[in-house]
Amino acid sequence: MKNEILLHTRREFLRRTVLGSALSWTMPAFLADTFAALQTQAADSATQIVTGKDSPILVVLQMAGGNDGINTVVPYANDFYHRARPTLGLKLENILKLNDEVGLHGAMTGFKELYDAGQLSIVQGVGYPNPNRSHFRSTEIWQTASDADQIEKHGWIGRYFDAACAGADPAVGVTIGNQLPEAFFAAKPKGIVFNNPQNYRFMANGAATEESYKKLNELEMSSPLPDDNSGGSIGMLPAGMPMTGGRAVDFISRTALDAQQSSDEIRGIAARVQNQAQYPGSQLGNSLKLVAKLIGGGLPTRIYYVSQGGYDTHTNQLGSQQRLLGDLADSVKSFVADLKAQGNLQRVLVMTFSEFGRRVGENANGGTDHGAAAPMFIIGNKVKAGLLGQYPSLAPHDLFQGDIKYNVDFRSAYAAVLENWLKTKSAPILGRQFPLLPVV
Amino acid sequence: MLKPLSSDRWNYSTAAHLLNRAGFGGPPADIQNLADLGPAKAVASLLDYEAISDPTLNPDWAKPNPEEVLKYRDAIKNGTPEEKKKLQQEQQQTFQRRMLELRGWWLRRMTYGPRPFQEKMVLFWHGHFATSVDKVRNPYFMWRQNDLFRRLATDNWQNLLTQTGKDPAMLLWLDQAQSRKAHPNENFAREVMELFALGEGHYTEHDIAEAARALTGWSFEFQDQQYIYRPFIHDQGSKTFLGHTGNFDGDDVITIIVSQPQAARFITAKLWNYFAGQMPSEELNAALAANFRAHGNNFKPFLRDLFQSEEFYSDDIVRNQVKSPVQWLVGSVRVLECELPPPFVSWGMLRQLGQDLFAPPNVKGWDGGVTWITTNTLLTRYNDAQALVEGTVPPLAAGDFARKAGNGGGGKLEKALQRVRLGGVNVEKILTPAERADKTALVAALEHRLYQAALNSGQQQTLRDFLAAKTKLSNADIATTIRLMMSTPEYQVT
Repeated sequence: MKNEILLHTRREFLRRTVLGSALSWTMPAFLADTFAALQTQAADSATQIVTGKDSPILVVLQMAGGNDGINTVVPYANDFYHRARPTLGLKLENILKLNDEVGLHGAMTGFKELYDAGQLSIVQGVGYPNPNRSHFRSTEIWQTASDADQIEKHGWIGRYFDAACAGADPAVGVTIGNQLPEAFFAAKPKGIVFNNPQNYRFMANGAATEESYKKLNELEMSSPLPDDNSGGSIGMLPAGMPMTGGRAVDFISRTALDAQQSSDEIRGIAARVQNQAQYPGSQLGNSLKLVAKLIGGGLPTRIYYVSQGGYDTHTNQLGSQQRLLGDLADSVKSFVADLKAQGNLQRVLVMTFSEFGRRVGENANGGTDHGAAAPMFIIGNKVKAGLLGQYPSLAPHDLFQGDIKYNVDFRSAYAAVLENWLKTKSAPILGRQFPLLPVV
Repeated sequence: MLKPLSSDRWNYSTAAHLLNRAGFGGPPADIQNLADLGPAKAVASLLDYEAISDPTLNPDWAKPNPEEVLKYRDAIKNGTPEEKKKLQQEQQQTFQRRMLELRGWWLRRMTYGPRPFQEKMVLFWHGHFATSVDKVRNPYFMWRQNDLFRRLATDNWQNLLTQTGKDPAMLLWLDQAQSRKAHPNENFAREVMELFALGEGHYTEHDIAEAARALTGWSFEFQDQQYIYRPFIHDQGSKTFLGHTGNFDGDDVITIIVSQPQAARFITAKLWNYFAGQMPSEELNAALAANFRAHGNNFKPFLRDLFQSEEFYSDDIVRNQVKSPVQWLVGSVRVLECELPPPFVSWGMLRQLGQDLFAPPNVKGWDGGVTWITTNTLLTRYNDAQALVEGTVPPLAAGDFARKAGNGGGGKLEKALQRVRLGGVNVEKILTPAERADKTALVAALEHRLYQAALNSGQQQTLRDFLAAKTKLSNADIATTIRLMMSTPEYQVT
């Protein structure tokens, strides 16, 4: 009976087959598909197969609402800055100088410490051609990495999963929040979403119900794996076999097993792993706290996604931005300290983005309106620390409809992260080859 | 050629398939009625909905309101910053309240309305034209587009496409309202070909630019909140579009698009995918397109043939479609014969499951099919099943709503919502005393109701084991059994 193997989980399946077992022709197509894709990647040495627990991790941090980059990385020595912002312009005592020209917002002491420790890279003037000032559309552009006049239905992270993570654990992407961000939309959706591990589970009104649920969702697939040399070998399977080859219910059965396994695992980790740093009690702080636990617990995740809202500061910006940037810097600093204590800092990179920056000139309500380019922050032990790129000119004749012009296409940052951090080719994911930003 | 379904194949299973796909499914009695009618009359009973009176009232705000528009505009123009902010907040709250009402209104129509097939078509057109309130903002426009889809649900393709192009929500959604002779906006011109009528590869960038010129003049009257043709912003010059040359306007553009052979292939493939659950083969698509064109590009006779075709009832079509979240929710309420959860709950459920009505993710609409299923949407379906059966508010929907209402997660509102008890399923209503007394009969009756098919033997054994542990079956045990049967891969397909 040595070949009577019931494949209960995808990971178990991978363990067995990656070790060189052959694949049965009676295997459902979606499994074969997974397998064929893995094979293809194995042949491509430039691509890292997503399996181990030592692989690099990317944490994407969305600053939702359009952060005012000009009051975040402040060109304090620039006259145009103070002229454009008579009331919102930050005074010297509220600036953490980085050099003779720019400094961080005074609330960002956490980031200043990371900067001084060589763990923070500040990319100045990031944007894209033909900027869109709609939250909805500009967020979509950042999430899908499309050109401003093109609509992409899948997200850049989703396309990364499609291209490089076929057959990976469902927890390859984890969003702490309520809904899957558009960045995760994919031809073969992966990734899980929850804000509280307690909600990511089958809620049963008793042990018997729970047990029955598990049995009802067991895979009805008892076909034995053939002897190593019988049947079709792995290499004979065509790559990219459509997932729809099997019946829809087969795909759902497999997903049901993944759900069971990952929900048990995540709740187990959340209960077992202790944080080793104090975090702010904010939503972002709690999200990063949870991410640190999941990393510490060894979840095989490549990309975590967290977000912080409230940056749409049309009115009374000073107070609200002070609070938000302080929370951001403190939360990330705690996260870095936690990972360092865990010994995992080497494998984690944090990247922030916001859908747009804000107008150079302040408005009449003590706020700023939707703008264009803004800085991105990239944090980690292996970043090229310091200020990258040029600060866009604030001279009125250099502005476009009151907005600074971008110097760095955000997709150059994505490309660099994909290639130099996640070790995968960026062109198939981003649609074309963008210059790699020298950031990692 | 579509092969007509032979009448000796008509039975309870085929009738169930028809009701599940052309409508939102229903309890055994509804299926039996269709089975008794025979295929032609069964299809007619769904498709010839004009004969069925529909007394549903529209929301009281669902009409143009020029006074409100003017009042708001003047106040924004002349008010102090504080007044402006207050007004904007008030308007936003009004809009949010109306959207919630609109979502509930539509879901009730789908669930309880007398014309399920018409609503299934409205849902198709909503997904096809994929207009989102996130940009359109005003719920009146969203209602109005929904109403247009209902009125023209099975009308002529050219008429529907033209009317949709002139619909206020669409004029705003794809920026046609902003297009001017000097600066034609290409958004609608591109999407009408790429997404609505032809598909990529069947036009050139030059066709888009020329169509955009021709479409100038299709505009939006702000105060009356309706379409208006403005001759002074229309480009009167000659255009060359898809091989035709002339002084075309927007109506000509639609006429030329719909006359392309590809137009019939494109829309019939999408309709087949929507109703049959997979894209047609090239051969079948050719047959569908030929049928559609033979019927003068009218949807009703085409769909009548589709629902009476051998192909539609083939083995790889029946019970092989992933239920969309709307199909899952509306269908569940119908087969359980329970109450639709109140709008904030049903809205929260649909958002969590990935189909937020009136807010598709982007201009391409919902991907559908297996993309509805991820580990968390599946777990959410299983937990929502518990909420429907027991009449509770699912924690995710409660949390979602509490956050929307400005209450932090875990707040008082969320906790209060978790204590709410709604209707739940009445097992004495949907099962006979004999079925409730006999465990084997119970499982069989529920299989018949929930899947119109049998579970595999291992699953049946699991259910029997679960029930065997109960000495006497309580209604709560039966409710849990129903929830368990909905928490299976098999329940997620139809």
